Amino acid sequence: MDKNPDKGYVALLGWSLNAVEAAEDFDRRYIVVAPDWAEDYCKQHDIPYVPWNFERLNDRSMEIAQTLKDMGVDVAIPLFEETVEWAGAINSLLMDNPRLLGQSMLMRDKSLMKRRAQLGGIRVGIFEEAHDREDVMRFLRRVNQTLLKLDGDLNDPIHFKAFDKAGCLGHRVIRTPDDVDAIPEEEFPALMESHLDGWEFAVEAWVHKGKIRFLNISEYVTLGYSVHVPASPELERYRPQIRQQIEKLIRTFEIDFGFVHPEYFVTSDDEMYFGEVAYRPPGFKVFELLERVYGFNAYQALILVFDPKTKEEEVAAFFPKEIEDAKCYAGCFGVYPRRRVVSRLEIPEETEDHPYFESHELTPPLEETVTKRTAFGTHWGLLFFKGDDPKQMHALLKRQEELDFYV
Amino acid sequence: MTGDTDDKPAAAGKLELLLERLDEAISVLARARSFAKPGKMQRVFETARRVLLQEGGCGALEARARHLEEAGIFEGSDWASPQILIPSLSTHSLQSPVEDTVMVEALSELRLLAVALGDYRHPLISQEQAHHYLTQVLAINLTMLFTPPSEAERETQGRLAQVSRRLLRHLADRIGFEHIIDKLIEEIWRVLQQRPIQVDSVKQMVTQIAVCQANPNIELGGSGQGGERLVSSLYGPSLGCREDPGLEVYRERLQRMDRGALQGEATGFARAMHDTGLVSPYHPVLLHHLLDHGDHLLAEALGLSATGRDCMLCYNELVRELVRTAVLPPTAQAVYGLALMLERGILYQPPVAPAIWRQINLPLSEWSREHLLAAYGHDAPPEARLLEGVLCMLGLPLGVGQGNNPTCQSARALSMWAYNDPDYLLQMVAWAARDDEIVMHFEGQPISSQDSVLGVAKELPMDLDPLSLLVVPHLDRIYAEMGRRCVAREGDPHRWVNPEFHGWWAGRGFSINVDVETGQLVDLDRFLRHFYACYHPYYNGNQPLIHPQPAGIAFTDSAARFIGWHAITILRTALDPQDVMRVYFFNPNNDSAQDWGDGVVVSTSGRGERYGEASLPFEQFASRLYIYHYDPLEGGELASVSDEELERVKAYLYRSWGADRIPATDLQASPANPNDSH
Repeated sequence: MDKNPDKGYVALLGWSLNAVEAAEDFDRRYIVVAPDWAEDYCKQHDIPYVPWNFERLNDRSMEIAQTLKDMGVDVAIPLFEETVEWAGAINSLLMDNPRLLGQSMLMRDKSLMKRRAQLGGIRVGIFEEAHDREDVMRFLRRVNQTLLKLDGDLNDPIHFKAFDKAGCLGHRVIRTPDDVDAIPEEEFPALMESHLDGWEFAVEAWVHKGKIRFLNISEYVTLGYSVHVPASPELERYRPQIRQQIEKLIRTFEIDFGFVHPEYFVTSDDEMYFGEVAYRPPGFKVFELLERVYGFNAYQALILVFDPKTKEEEVAAFFPKEIEDAKCYAGCFGVYPRRRVVSRLEIPEETEDHPYFESHELTPPLEETVTKRTAFGTHWGLLFFKGDDPKQMHALLKRQEELDFYV
Repeated sequence: MTGDTDDKPAAAGKLELLLERLDEAISVLARARSFAKPGKMQRVFETARRVLLQEGGCGALEARARHLEEAGIFEGSDWASPQILIPSLSTHSLQSPVEDTVMVEALSELRLLAVALGDYRHPLISQEQAHHYLTQVLAINLTMLFTPPSEAERETQGRLAQVSRRLLRHLADRIGFEHIIDKLIEEIWRVLQQRPIQVDSVKQMVTQIAVCQANPNIELGGSGQGGERLVSSLYGPSLGCREDPGLEVYRERLQRMDRGALQGEATGFARAMHDTGLVSPYHPVLLHHLLDHGDHLLAEALGLSATGRDCMLCYNELVRELVRTAVLPPTAQAVYGLALMLERGILYQPPVAPAIWRQINLPLSEWSREHLLAAYGHDAPPEARLLEGVLCMLGLPLGVGQGNNPTCQSARALSMWAYNDPDYLLQMVAWAARDDEIVMHFEGQPISSQDSVLGVAKELPMDLDPLSLLVVPHLDRIYAEMGRRCVAREGDPHRWVNPEFHGWWAGRGFSINVDVETGQLVDLDRFLRHFYACYHPYYNGNQPLIHPQPAGIAFTDSAARFIGWHAITILRTALDPQDVMRVYFFNPNNDSAQDWGDGVVVSTSGRGERYGEASLPFEQFASRLYIYHYDPLEGGELASVSDEELERVKAYLYRSWGADRIPATDLQASPANPNDSH
């Protein structure tokens, strides 16, 4: 698409084909910043590219920021958890605003993030940092004592999350001392949280000039397995409160532009608890679901709200009306093999024949033996569904958990 | 949609819904930029697969063929150039456990169906070509068409196996069955005309035809006529076993036959065998019976000419011992090998008969036995298997194939020895099979196959004839080692390796027209004129080629694109029945009838070829040649080939593998200026 020189020039941090495709079809100039393995591909397809290996921030970090500045780039957009602090560092130089680096560091440390939220008056569960297994044992015991459990009663679980990993990676549910023993050394330090019985959901919010421009609620059917968009009417009922919560979050974290992806709980007494927040697109292809439901490209939306040169009218015209403009419900389900030994991929007929079933992104198994899952881990691919009835969608996604896709 | 109670509307509604999904997926693909297309294909494949499994689904996909292709579903893969697709590869795709592979093949075939039926005018492939291609695909996949998935297919493919079957059924319905059987029969005859040593797959296809003919549910119409001879040659070549009664019954029947009846049996078997090159498992039963009935009937049952009979009578005891030890129902092809070996008269070479006696009594190493059993099963003792292989190789030196292995040099060497130096071949077999070691010398230095670990082939080849199965792994390692010893030398290593590897008769003079460093063509005119001077009877004083000579060709595909370097043997140069000067050569590829593109189509029969020979007009052959050997002591005078003829050769070359190998100076001078000869 023809690029408009009056609009901003954005850098995409990390390699995402969907993001590149969206950028290619949008009227902003863009450049991909990715590790050098992407170079051949970019050259072959004329994709503007600068090589950069994202490791920990270090002395050389200024180098890439300066390179982008010299090229006239206006803003860097993080696509993955690992590039969030890089975006902060780069943008603090590009926009001459050192606060942006600090803000991004907050987003990368689950413990700092919680404390900041707490300071801002946002409700959070009980949490603590763990540096070794001893800390985890103590926390598990204390949480369960607080809940007046007796010896021999089934423990309430606690959640254990590596500090700086995205989404479900490094997320474990701990119930017993055995679970504690199973935590590998390299996952420390980590954040521990009490378990809240409630309704977990995620929010995707596009922010421009300090205001929420589009807010989506993604409903988890089962955490780590399935999600659908938009949320069911029962959850959408809370939209006004949720919107207030996000506004509070944006104020607390001093977010002026960009995109946030927080997770919350609603407990049975309608109380909202903050889980965590990320400053990058969600995993689980929620962006794709949104495109199916609303017809707008969520990556282009991302570029739009990050671009400091974007005009108010363009933002207003770009986003559809939440819920009102939704054409259907779209959901996806992450498949994990259930058997220990698998030989091939086979979509169950029941799934395939369902009128809601749209497509899948599963790949044939590479190995016959399935590694045992410890943490939530990574799914082997997604199934996509689309339909009109939220109840049926919910039941359908739930049902998939009982089926074998790898046999 | 939800309220449907009747089944039919529900099914129709389902197809409709799926088609809606499919059309959406296709348009997403069509809109995507080329770099993003691969990511959008799976959704199309996935949805198309579900469409295909519905009643009427194949038709719906056929109707969308053009749309699918234009959206880019074949982009970036070989299927984008339908004119180069090879029918025999379809089996592999259709039986793949990978959904996308099955589906891209299925969609491609439905597209070609639309082309074949005239509904879709394709820029790259004509209606006739598409029709021809599809009949071949059907012929080759006949098994899948008529039989339910085998256990193995079910295990690897699951429900995908149904996709392939539905597709083939649809193709057959639209193309017509009569085309398939006839095509299959034609195909079998074409392969058999080259008299390959390995005929297991041919036997399977013949069995397939027999199954179809016996099945009353398959309407063959007027087709399948030429199949009779094939089926009967395997399952009932004579009066005594016409109804395929089983080996035991036949053995009993033979006991009660008089000499006249036995004569009839002998002639029947011999004729069937020489007609087709296939040997019925009943044939060994007859031969064993005839061992007690004098020489005449035995010679008759082998179908021998005066030459062969003479040879048999001279070496009577050897022949009888070979029948006793090597000719069993599971090793029936040994009969054909034996008959042709006798016809060749090679037993008259002094070392050959004693070497065969050694072979009969040769103790096999543990490894050899196990390897033979692993490849051929326990139907026959490994010693008999190997003997069958030896007889077939000696009888059909040009019938050896390299299987699906990159070992063309080893296959070529075996063929050359069987053809030219049979006792040397037998020595190699003895060393390999008994001692697990072959030692050859390279410029005076011994090379043991046990010392060199790495050959050209990454894995131990299994799909070979019994002799190759044991000898090729050794040869391959030695060949690779010879190559390694030439690493530091300038130029192409074949210059030194070929004569040392194949035999003293491979010329020490060496011509190559490619610069090894740059891959550019070099000294082309000299290369060609010298080749004419050495090999063309009009320019070499009408001297027929004495020994088979190794040569290298630049192998091109049916679109004349360079595929790789390939080893062949030049056997002779002669006028064909139409008075065209042709080069007759041996190609260790399993099927020599190949289309090398730009009108260069290798012929295997009907142009003066002997069994197993491939041939091309001299000019066309010269255009694909890149290495040949010659005797450096002979002349070296360049042939005064006319410039027009040389330009024709070079034009073939420039239009194919030489297209991007023309050095800058040549490019300016030679195509434009034909007088540039040196």
